[in-house]
Amino acid sequence: MTSERIFVTRLAPLLASLGLLIVWQLASLALDSDSFPTALEAIRVIPSLLGDPETLINFAASLRRMAIGFGVAVAISIPLGLLMGRSRAVASFFNPLLMIIYPVPKAALMPFIMLWLGVGDIAKTLVIFLGVSLPVIYHSFEGAKAVEEKMLWSGAAMGLSSAQRMVRIVLPAALPEILTGCRTGLVLALITMVTSEMIARQSGAGNILFNALDMGQYDTVFAMIIIIGALGICLDGAFERVRRRLVRWSDPQFDIPLSFS
Amino acid sequence: MNARLVTGNLLLGVIPIAMVIALWQALVSFSYAPVTLLPSPMHVFERLVQQLLNSAFQQEIVATLFRLFAGFTIAVALGVTTGLAAAANPAVNAVVRPLVRVLAPLPKVALYPALLLLVGFGHESKIALVTADALFPILLSTYYGASTVERKLIWSAMAAGTPGRGILFKVVLPAAAPSILTGCRIGLVISCIVVFLAEMITSTDGLGHVLVTAARTFQAVDMFVPLITISLLGLILNGVLEAVRAYLLRGFPEV
Repeated sequence: MTSERIFVTRLAPLLASLGLLIVWQLASLALDSDSFPTALEAIRVIPSLLGDPETLINFAASLRRMAIGFGVAVAISIPLGLLMGRSRAVASFFNPLLMIIYPVPKAALMPFIMLWLGVGDIAKTLVIFLGVSLPVIYHSFEGAKAVEEKMLWSGAAMGLSSAQRMVRIVLPAALPEILTGCRTGLVLALITMVTSEMIARQSGAGNILFNALDMGQYDTVFAMIIIIGALGICLDGAFERVRRRLVRWSDPQFDIPLSFS
Repeated sequence: MNARLVTGNLLLGVIPIAMVIALWQALVSFSYAPVTLLPSPMHVFERLVQQLLNSAFQQEIVATLFRLFAGFTIAVALGVTTGLAAAANPAVNAVVRPLVRVLAPLPKVALYPALLLLVGFGHESKIALVTADALFPILLSTYYGASTVERKLIWSAMAAGTPGRGILFKVVLPAAAPSILTGCRIGLVISCIVVFLAEMITSTDGLGHVLVTAARTFQAVDMFVPLITISLLGLILNGVLEAVRAYLLRGFPEV
């Protein structure tokens, strides 16, 4: 790829964001409604919103829960997914249970967990954990299943134990697929975090959003949407960079995750 | 795989589900959890059956299903046409690609308050949110399906004198069908989940609203019923679409 092409591909998403903001600006000018502030008005609120210590504390708490939930989910899901991919018995043990859990709206478990564990950090982190686990398990499973048998046989012939084969052959071979799952999981962690905060209405980014809505501070509502949206896009972009570096050797995959909540 | 192995696998799969239910029952029986917080599985099941036969509850299901299908249908129409257009036309692709890159990782649920302000608290805002969430998996899988259609197929159709529209409907669309249908299946389950969450956040009817109302009055049994109902709906719709996919793709090599 020439440097000019790279420049264009880097620039295109920025131009797209700018285009969206311009469309928003024009639409709100055309509609001229009190409840639909222009893009400029919303952007102008962002500095004061981010300068407010209370908002920052809320955001930091949300992000900390998200990081813990995501980290724990990845640490448990990858080994489980890999085991399921390599052992038919493990796969048929867990698959039906996971199939039943798949269509359950994870953020909707918030009221249950709050009822049992109270409104603490544990409840919110647990919901994020549940939201992230499934795609990571699924992708690790698919990745481990596709590992070439011959490599495992040669590993066994060279005297690697089954645990060593798992770490030194299956894990690297399945890494591109695992990272795709982690990327979907990361977007889902953010979605689950915001949704569960909107449902629980206790603290966090989702709560600020709906409080502003209730109090009729419409520019704050739209400013928060920009902040959360930008957070999603940045997290995804940053992870994509890490992923590309880790699996530079593999075939390029879909560049956008098919996320599901 | 022979029949005995299949039944063996099935039995193995039932174990964890049975264990979860047994653990649940044990928590109740040995009164580790008060019945007001955790009703017994049998109690929840009885209540579920009772509610499914209740016409007021059926009304809520209908409200939820209406929003779900309205949003999903719009998402399919929009996603498939945009995906095909982007795959067929480089100019459209140059616009759609960066837009999708920006919009796909955006947490759509954050847009919900904006949708509430723009289109009101009724059906429209929920339908719009469902569409926004279900759109991208469908659009992306259509795009990848259509852009990986074998060039030779298109060339031979052109050589045989097929007009442009004929190539789209007779060559590209059938060749991209497996991928499009997979996208639709993911989109349908997402629709199910999103419509329920939107109803939980603000609504005056629908299954999500039933859960929130029960949670406010600490009716644990009534909290389980809508959650199980929506999950069952998701499982059933997923199965139906899987069957439709198998029917439409009969004769395709294994996909």
